[in-house]
Amino acid sequence: MARSRKSFFCGSAEHDMSRRNFLGSSVAAAGIGSSVGAFRSDLMAEQLKRNDKRVILLWLAGGASQMETWDPKEGVETSGPFRKIQTSTPGVAISELLPKMAGRLKDTAIIRSLNTAIGDHGNDAKLMHLGRQNEPNLSYPDMGSVLARELGRLDSSVPDYVTFYTATEGRGNAVGRPGFLGSRYAPMFLTNGNSPDNISRLESVNELDHKERAELRDLLSRGFSRGRVSSQLGSHNVAYGRVRGLMASEKLFDIEQEPQKVRDKYGKSLFGQQALIARRLIEAGTPFVKVSRAWWDSHGQNFETHLELVTELDHVMTTLLDDLEERGLLENTLVITLGEFGRTPTINGSLGRDHFARAWSASLSGCGVQGGSVFGETTEDGQHVKDGEIGAAELFATIYKAVGVDPHKEYHVGVRPVPLTDPGTKSVDQVLS
Amino acid sequence: MRLFVVSTLWIMSCMWMCGLAHAQELLPADKPINEVIDHYIGAEHNRLSIPVAPLADDYLLVRRTTLDLIGRIPTTKELLDFVNSEDANKREVLVDRLMASKEYREHQADTLNMVLANGRNENLRPFLLDAIEKNVGWSEIFRQLVVGDMIDGTKQEAGDFVKSRVSDTDALTNETSVLFFGVNISCAKCHDHPLVTEWTQAHFYGMKSFFSRTFDNGGFIAEREYGAIEYKTTSGEAKNAELMFLSGTVMSEPEWTKPTDEEAKAEKAQLEQLKKDKKKVPRPQFSRREQLVDVALKEEKAYFSKAMVNRTWFRFVGRGFVMPLDQMHPENTPTHPELLDWLARDTRDNGYDLSRLIRGIVLSDAYARDSRWDSQEKRPDSMWFSVGNVRILSPLQYASSMKIGARNPVDFAGDDAEVVTKNIENTRQQAKGFSSKIEIPGDDFQVSVGEALLFSNNVDFENTFLRDGAGDLVGAMIRNESNEAAVDMAAMAIFNRQLEDDERKAMLAFLETRSENRADAIKHLVWAMLASGEVRFNY
Repeated sequence: MARSRKSFFCGSAEHDMSRRNFLGSSVAAAGIGSSVGAFRSDLMAEQLKRNDKRVILLWLAGGASQMETWDPKEGVETSGPFRKIQTSTPGVAISELLPKMAGRLKDTAIIRSLNTAIGDHGNDAKLMHLGRQNEPNLSYPDMGSVLARELGRLDSSVPDYVTFYTATEGRGNAVGRPGFLGSRYAPMFLTNGNSPDNISRLESVNELDHKERAELRDLLSRGFSRGRVSSQLGSHNVAYGRVRGLMASEKLFDIEQEPQKVRDKYGKSLFGQQALIARRLIEAGTPFVKVSRAWWDSHGQNFETHLELVTELDHVMTTLLDDLEERGLLENTLVITLGEFGRTPTINGSLGRDHFARAWSASLSGCGVQGGSVFGETTEDGQHVKDGEIGAAELFATIYKAVGVDPHKEYHVGVRPVPLTDPGTKSVDQVLS
Repeated sequence: MRLFVVSTLWIMSCMWMCGLAHAQELLPADKPINEVIDHYIGAEHNRLSIPVAPLADDYLLVRRTTLDLIGRIPTTKELLDFVNSEDANKREVLVDRLMASKEYREHQADTLNMVLANGRNENLRPFLLDAIEKNVGWSEIFRQLVVGDMIDGTKQEAGDFVKSRVSDTDALTNETSVLFFGVNISCAKCHDHPLVTEWTQAHFYGMKSFFSRTFDNGGFIAEREYGAIEYKTTSGEAKNAELMFLSGTVMSEPEWTKPTDEEAKAEKAQLEQLKKDKKKVPRPQFSRREQLVDVALKEEKAYFSKAMVNRTWFRFVGRGFVMPLDQMHPENTPTHPELLDWLARDTRDNGYDLSRLIRGIVLSDAYARDSRWDSQEKRPDSMWFSVGNVRILSPLQYASSMKIGARNPVDFAGDDAEVVTKNIENTRQQAKGFSSKIEIPGDDFQVSVGEALLFSNNVDFENTFLRDGAGDLVGAMIRNESNEAAVDMAAMAIFNRQLEDDERKAMLAFLETRSENRADAIKHLVWAMLASGEVRFNY
């Protein structure tokens, strides 16, 4: 069962790695700063195939109700006031709060059978960022960092992992982190407005001086690097090498650059504006953008909260998918909706729904996805998964596969092989095209 | 055959763990530490014909040693005093002067705090500084961190080590093992360790048992008299964990019984009352955490002293005898087993005195090798310690060094030692704010583009390092009419060395093309120097 799977990162029998192999490689791999590298070399074809794949994660912080979104129930005690409506895909119904999505389900797959067991914001948010249980002494990278590394370019002049999280509720839980991949793949974490910190030049330094002092810095650093070896020293030079390019990408964060017509489509909400910036970043080559919308944690007044938030999600998501499609980007861009968990089918005394991680939903749209497909089924009252139960690992494997990344690819942390998803994890191929 | 291999391995493992492998051959205990280090490391160079880099020049050596011992670069005066000294023992004089300073004690406390906090938001610094000032040995520091303020007279801050981890006993168990014993047993939580036959699930749960009765009661760490761990093996069998150390030694403990419902109720009420009164929970008659300290120190040869030596060596040389630092087990043999044994023995016989070990390391030739490999021959692997390593600075080392470099060197060159000390202290203080913006380097640290953007575009960088007042390097350079002199002044202050011809040429050209606004040009030049790779590392 997915939720109880243990992590065998340390090389148990499942790993097909002999002790001899371990001993043989330990000397070579044990240099300063353990080397993180692909254990299995990927085929060139796979490299080419995934070259321009991108991902936008719409992070529904606090936990959206599956009943008011992708897995509505009718005629049971737990249904709530909203009904289900038929979608463009025959036989598939979703909540009436998603009327626009109901009309354009052709690019979207729904997964209704997540069981992640925990039910606590901190731990579940971590689980849904890492795709596995956190381990005390191995810092795993989150999905964004993995995809930044797998889909980005080392010398990219645009940021390769951008996170928007403007609200304060739950921000500390939803941290993207590069873990053992190193700071090169850390997210640009935007908490204040729509533009990253330190991306624009100070007025006290003119453009030419800014450029030429950086060139002088490079010259001095090159001299220093001669005859010296260190991956950290390398990363220092790479980081400075990216500064000017990233500064040039400042305008990507500026929606004023978009025609009024496009801005109107996305709407005036912060979520909408940030989704538009996400599209601009994706278009310019950023492989991973996370746009967070908080706070779905509706212990009280669940239905008012969802009326507001799902309506907004419906609008922003359809606009984004339409926009990506019009620009020919959708076939290479995967749009995910996901939060840390769903909400209880049982309605509490405050007309709220509480944390619920036993049977909940997520959606995948666009790149590599079988549009209109539905995977998994919950019981009539929504209390349990009836069919197709999966955990975080399977969802992550599916996401990786959709964008052409082998979910079983292994990194090496020092001498330890660490697969992208826990060994034995199967992707949900039924929702992939 | 298989049996033979297994049993040989087993014997070797036991020998390694008991520190017997080379005991009879170890150099005498009274030999100076630095000579022992160079003996063993040099022997491997000779045996394997490994090429060796020359020793670093005086400029580089005083920079490296000062950064390592007191956490900042030397001032121009300190630099030139050392370079110009003709004393044959000047290295020892330098090391002893640095190690006697307040800056040394503070830097030790900062560094140990950073290592022990392991990325957590805890502050052991006051406890550590106090311990370092009293020259408390590592074994005692370990005891106080693990047992906390259950021991009378222990500073309350020591308890933070356990307190900040107590909500996650797995993490507490594993981090204690990693930091003090050099072993990461987290794999053994779910299954017997696949590579290290010694570590089974029984070991993980045995180690966890030492902490399993510990809990937080209103901000005070407390321990119960009862309770044990049950776990399931991979085959599904339920087992009771024994109080077992990594070595396999099982500690005996008094009989205990589970409290009745009534007793449990009374206990709960008592704990609530103590919480309310903000009082410590009385210590148990029998403390499992104390047992851990006792057994770990009793069997210190297997793990404790070697882990301390390996970590300290790594810190000063950039690579441990065993890598990774948390994989000190019999299947991962050290590069220099005799040296590790000798240093571990020395450290144990001398009260686990960290400073003694540090002094020995920084006086060795192995520590003093140039980090540049100019030879046509292939650069030897770092495991042979024949070339210096490039090591990333901690945020405090980095910011303090930049701030020292960015101050008018005259302020550090007066005759009144007290004034100079005060100026240095103030300067370091002023660097603290900026240091908090720099990421603490972890195991696989890479410099982020966020850092490069911070340096390139943040106004705090300008305000901290590029001011042009009388007390600032930039100001002093502006007031010096000669570009040559200004550039050389900056090189000594920031790089701690003389410039290469091509560097000087580029820097002078940079200033000359901006002669219409020389003051700004000097600022940009100093920016380029501070942001360069050289300043980011100890090399």
